[in-house]
Amino acid sequence: MSNTDQATLAATQSQRPPFYRDVTVVKWLAQVFTLLLVVFALFFLTTQALENLDRQGIEIKYDFLSIGLGSDLREGIDTDPDTAGRALWAGAVNTLRIAAGGIVAATILGVLIGVGRLSSNWIVSRMCSVFIETVRNIPLLVQIVFIWALVATFPDVELDQGPINGLLHVSNKGVSVPRVHIDDGFYQWLIFIAAGWLVGSFVKRRQERRHDATGRDTYPVLSFLAVLAVFGAVGWVAHPIFGWVGAIFDFIGDGFSSLTPVIVQVVLSLAALAAAAWWIRRFLARLRTPAGLMKLTDDDKFRIIFAGVGALAVIAFVLVGWPGLSSWIINSGTDLLGVIADKFGDGRTGRPIDIKAPDVEQVGRFPNPGPAGLNLTQGGAAVFFGVVLYTASFIAEIVRGGILAVPKGQTEAAQAVGLRRVTMLRRVILPQAFRVILPPLGNQYLNLTKNTSLAIAVGYSDFVQVGQIVYNQTGKTLEVISLWMLFYLACSLTISVVVNFFNIRMKIVER
Amino acid sequence: MSVSDATTALTEELAARDDMIVCEGVNKWFGDFQALDGITAVIKEREVVVVLGPSGSGKSTWIRCINRLEAHQEGRIVIDGVELTNDLRNIEKIRSEVGMVFQQFNLFPHLTVLDNIMLAPIWVRKKPKGEAEELARSLLERVGIPEQAEKYPGQLSGGQQQRVAIARALAMEPRIMLFDEPTSALDPEMIKEVLDVMKELATSGMTMMVVTHEMGFAREVADRVIFMEDGQIVETGTPEHFFTNPQEERTKLFLSQIL
Amino acid sequence: MTATMGDPAAGAGPVEPWDGERGPAQKPEEPSLSAGEWLGRNLFSSPVNSLLTVVFSLLVLLAVRGLLNFTFSEERTWRAVKTNMRFLFTHAYPQDQYARIWVCVGAIAVLSGLSVGLLARAGRGISMKKLSMNLMATGGVIALGIVLREPSAIVDDEGVALHRDASAAGGDSFVGWLDANAFAVLVVLVLANVALAVWFHLQGTYLRGGPEPRTAHGALVLVSVGVLIVQQYATGEVVRESFADAMSDRAWWWLAAALLAGAGAALWLGLGDARRRNTFVPAMYVFFVGAGVMVLSAWVYPWGHYGFLEGEFINEPGRTVAMTTKLPWTVMLVLLVATFELGRVLRAAGAGPKLRVPLNLLWVLTPFVLYWAVLRDPDLDWDHVLSTDLPMAVFFAAFGGLVVWFLAHPRIGEAGRVIAVVLVAVAALNWVAAYFGWYPMLQKARISFLLLAVVALLAHNFAGDRAQRMKLVAVWVATMAVFHWLVTLVNSPSTVDTPTDALIGGFGITLIVAVFTLLLAFPMGVLLALARTSKLPIFRVLSTAYIEVFRGVPLITVLFFFTLIFNLFLPDNMTLVDIAGATIGFSLFSAAYLAENVRGGLQAVRRGQYEASDAVGFTTVQRTLFIVLPQALRVSIPPLVGQVIATFKETSLLAIVGIFDFLRIADKVISAQSEFLGVKREGLLFVSFIYWIFAYNMSKHSQRLEKRLGVGER
Ligand SMILES: Nc1ncnc2c1ncn2[C@@H]1O[C@H](COP(=O)(O)OP(=O)(O)OP(=O)(O)O)[C@@H](O)[C@H]1O
Ligand SMILES: [Mg+2]
Repeated sequence: MSNTDQATLAATQSQRPPFYRDVTVVKWLAQVFTLLLVVFALFFLTTQALENLDRQGIEIKYDFLSIGLGSDLREGIDTDPDTAGRALWAGAVNTLRIAAGGIVAATILGVLIGVGRLSSNWIVSRMCSVFIETVRNIPLLVQIVFIWALVATFPDVELDQGPINGLLHVSNKGVSVPRVHIDDGFYQWLIFIAAGWLVGSFVKRRQERRHDATGRDTYPVLSFLAVLAVFGAVGWVAHPIFGWVGAIFDFIGDGFSSLTPVIVQVVLSLAALAAAAWWIRRFLARLRTPAGLMKLTDDDKFRIIFAGVGALAVIAFVLVGWPGLSSWIINSGTDLLGVIADKFGDGRTGRPIDIKAPDVEQVGRFPNPGPAGLNLTQGGAAVFFGVVLYTASFIAEIVRGGILAVPKGQTEAAQAVGLRRVTMLRRVILPQAFRVILPPLGNQYLNLTKNTSLAIAVGYSDFVQVGQIVYNQTGKTLEVISLWMLFYLACSLTISVVVNFFNIRMKIVER
Repeated sequence: MSVSDATTALTEELAARDDMIVCEGVNKWFGDFQALDGITAVIKEREVVVVLGPSGSGKSTWIRCINRLEAHQEGRIVIDGVELTNDLRNIEKIRSEVGMVFQQFNLFPHLTVLDNIMLAPIWVRKKPKGEAEELARSLLERVGIPEQAEKYPGQLSGGQQQRVAIARALAMEPRIMLFDEPTSALDPEMIKEVLDVMKELATSGMTMMVVTHEMGFAREVADRVIFMEDGQIVETGTPEHFFTNPQEERTKLFLSQIL
Repeated sequence: MTATMGDPAAGAGPVEPWDGERGPAQKPEEPSLSAGEWLGRNLFSSPVNSLLTVVFSLLVLLAVRGLLNFTFSEERTWRAVKTNMRFLFTHAYPQDQYARIWVCVGAIAVLSGLSVGLLARAGRGISMKKLSMNLMATGGVIALGIVLREPSAIVDDEGVALHRDASAAGGDSFVGWLDANAFAVLVVLVLANVALAVWFHLQGTYLRGGPEPRTAHGALVLVSVGVLIVQQYATGEVVRESFADAMSDRAWWWLAAALLAGAGAALWLGLGDARRRNTFVPAMYVFFVGAGVMVLSAWVYPWGHYGFLEGEFINEPGRTVAMTTKLPWTVMLVLLVATFELGRVLRAAGAGPKLRVPLNLLWVLTPFVLYWAVLRDPDLDWDHVLSTDLPMAVFFAAFGGLVVWFLAHPRIGEAGRVIAVVLVAVAALNWVAAYFGWYPMLQKARISFLLLAVVALLAHNFAGDRAQRMKLVAVWVATMAVFHWLVTLVNSPSTVDTPTDALIGGFGITLIVAVFTLLLAFPMGVLLALARTSKLPIFRVLSTAYIEVFRGVPLITVLFFFTLIFNLFLPDNMTLVDIAGATIGFSLFSAAYLAENVRGGLQAVRRGQYEASDAVGFTTVQRTLFIVLPQALRVSIPPLVGQVIATFKETSLLAIVGIFDFLRIADKVISAQSEFLGVKREGLLFVSFIYWIFAYNMSKHSQRLEKRLGVGER
């Protein structure tokens, strides 16, 4: 070995640069500075708001939720709510109802149109693309208002009237269809279904294993459904035996309500600390090499410090920033447990699910859709059909893109190994298309849910519209807007979690 | 003159020159995988060093540590008397003194060939535009493609692109050039045109560190060959010595596989 | 419609940047199919397909008929839209100031003409084959529409449709029978179609055999259409004129259909197959001809003169449109054509690349100038301008110019950073001082200081020789001049007096809000995207939180926040008018979405590009500006255009927060006028149509762009 490779650095010392030239320090300074700027700006805005509110003698308080509301809602689970809180709850249910129904309908319609666009039939594909290009290039709000104006020209409600009398009523008051009622004992019945699901999954896995071992057809999915059906059928009559479940929730609720705020504060603080500690531990574990712990770079140190500071900030917020948080958690937790306990309460022995046909009743001078069926008012119909058509046009494009994204070679390869057409679709084409389709599809579901808020333009009693009624009556604009945002953030979060769950599952399928 | 005599003579000659790259006990990990393990080496001025080794042995990682595309975690690297630390000024200085050529060329696709070469001299070296253009054109001349100046990289062949990449690196007037497998992404007929440029560069006295699998180039041009495996330097020597009389078992095995 | 040959010079222009890499593969031209072959392949290739064809054709016919009947029904009050045209587009902008609106439209026409002429790729244009097919198809569709539409209702002197005597309806005529059994008849016809298709298919003659099976099939389809047409005479409650009368009443439409189809056919027959395909007309010329025909018709055809001026309804059906409409539009078209030609001349002279940047800058500046200087006509207080505004502008230009000159010195080194940090501190201090009320300062001075601090921080990235530094100083001075001028305009009261706090309403406000939203949101979106893809964790977390929160809530709640209570969050004696609040809300919301689109582009930039930039010694700012963003933005153009369309459509939400935008006028204002009480659907249809034209054209353009950039391809 040549001696030129002898190191010649021993004599010198590696120097630490001054802080203003140190890459790591400069990087973190810039970040911390930005963070401070953001915090300062937010702080500035909040103090201004508080000051202004103070001057007008207004306080930020959510107690208006338990104050009575002077007006009725057009529709929902409770059209004459006692309190503003109850009204908002009814509005939230209306939003969720239309969003859920809309998601299902838009998906079906979107898939049909998307596949239609790929049809080899010229007229079909042309019609589908004309539909898409028309609907998605007109603002949704315009469409909703237009549908509303169109529904207004439908015939008046009359007692015996169709199109299909007793099943489907269409009038200028909206649309009525049969409604599925959740009845007494539904939640107890759900316990059976859950048990059936568990057992079914177990059976399914066993059948799959048998298929793998023997190669015979073992119908795992069918077995799963059969087990589920058996459990559902048994539960239909046997569900009252679960009447005691309510008591358990009552018991937990009692325990929860006897907690003191201090305990909750301590638990939250410990949780924050534990999260920080867990993160730091994991971070250090990543840096651990077989040769021992690696030297921490400045960057690593900054990250660790930040995790610690973050935890401290959370603790400060819990203890000092908003001391009322813990009692709020206790109260709402107790309430929630109480509601659940009530759902399972004793003596719920009715049929879990019931279906009722729509009716028309004449109470006053004019006939009106009765309460039995599922009624979409004029505004509800406008919002529903508006979001469904609009979203369907986007879903159609996504579906088309997803199917086109599966390379032709895949079909050919599947045919080459002799897969049957159904197997090929199920095992080869759809999984791949679905992988491409799913993320943007999730975005569309999110958009649809958010777009239902346009209901306010046509007076459908959704969360936003009810919120507007509430703040018009109570003047609590800021509070209502904060509730709006929280509610929709929660919805969005739920949808993204669900979509992500499937996304990850698809990735596993792909492997 | 025997092989060992030649080695001694070269060693003495080299010892008299300045150190350009000094690495001492350089360690680097990716997660818990150690990519560089105690790399210690000195490269002298005007020296051409070829780094060989099986895939995954850490050649690229080492060469990328030298201009801070990766940060090493332990040990010291000193380039032309300037140590690579967190110091912004040192990093700036070293980057403008060390040119690098990549396997995938990495030309900027949205700029013409001329702009590719001029951009850094103008904005990093703060050269006037006219001067930068003159320099760029002369460099294109030097790498043999003056007529391609106005084209976009996507319109050139691989060999031409790599020569533009060399010109781009040279435009910064570096004292050291690093090459990371500059010919592996090229078709055989294009390899020669790139190697010719590199040879010309070597004879002009540039300090070069080259990762390559072109044994012909190593034999003909290299002053020294360094063989790496598993993040360590296994053997170092002159090309004759290395190819005809390797000392280590691992080197012999490697050579028997590729020659 | 004369054939203008596509100019061959356009194809051999300068090297197109960056396309070589993707080299679009030319699809081999397929020979034209005969009509029979085409039908067999696309409509009747299998029994199922035939069934689909029949069912869907009938659906199409029903839909078209429904739309036509709805649109042209005597019960529609289109006069409501015609009368309120001015309202729909500008709301209450004063009539005596209307010239300002036309100046704005003119400025945009000039810029558009120049840009398209100068910069747009001439491309190959529209082939003669396509043109003639489109002409014939349009003629055919019009003819079909004429036949399909139900005959006009007979109206009395008041213009109200006469109603049928209820007892006399129906009857035992063939028509009456058809009406009663229309559904059954249609089902029978469809089944017959299917049976026929299956029969031929089983015989194996459908595809291979002669044209007879398909002729039979086609005949059945025609019979179905006939049933639809006959049936419509019996429907409805109003009395209708006879078929012959209806057809002769629509003579103008027949003429138009015949002209279009005739022109198309003449083109088709006049050229051989090869020439039809290889002769191209620039798309712009087709557009000009179309627009020209429309403008010309405004002068000659009695579209009628309607209006709502000074509380008076004008209602003169037999005249051509008002001079105040046709004259300006004629001028606009002339301007557009003239500047387009000018642009082409300049392009031929090779001025394209040089004018690209100034033209884009003009586009960015135009909205500000048009809105604050032209539409708003500010009433400048010259004493204040001379005593305060001007000196301040000069001070910042000179002081900032010096700072820039100094900091852009190549060898400024650490001293520059120290100065920059000091300036940042001063800028920050100004805002903190505003909060604590330490010393008063004009807001624009604070902003100018902030701008200066940012420029000082960035200056070393752009250092260079004397010429380069001069350029930087010039850019700074120009920025300051424009900025202070605009702020002065904004601060001066407007001489234009309107009843709402928005200067203009209707489609005008829709466009203005959309444009300002995008101008504000775009830089924010880019910054957010950079932060979100950054390696620095705090930037990433902040940006991710912002994006996810704004994407998680509905736009309408954001708008309510900014129009209802945002003023609470502002310091004393500072208020935002609704329209400004709404624009801010839109911008913050759009920025989150734009950021996601740009992020997609950023992720498409290969790692090697970052490494190469680092290796040649670029700073992070230089790397981002010169290497990363140009590539990333180019990739994200199609989704960005998508976001532009979305923002444009979302502006309709202005109607909900009480601003008199396009939709609100159609929905609430017109239907409240005594003359048109409750007339809504006409206005809404019109609004939909205008929105559709804009959005559809943008999306088509973006699809073309996508194809050209090869982004959509895998
Ligand atoms: N960013 C990274 N993250 C994790 N591991 C990495 C990373 N970069 C390189 N490695 C690992 O470090 C080892 C050395 O990689 P390096 O690219 O230096 O090898 P090489 O000698 O250049 O190989 P080749 O001849 O194939 O280019 C490899 O095992 C590689 O997997
Ligand atoms: Mg490598």
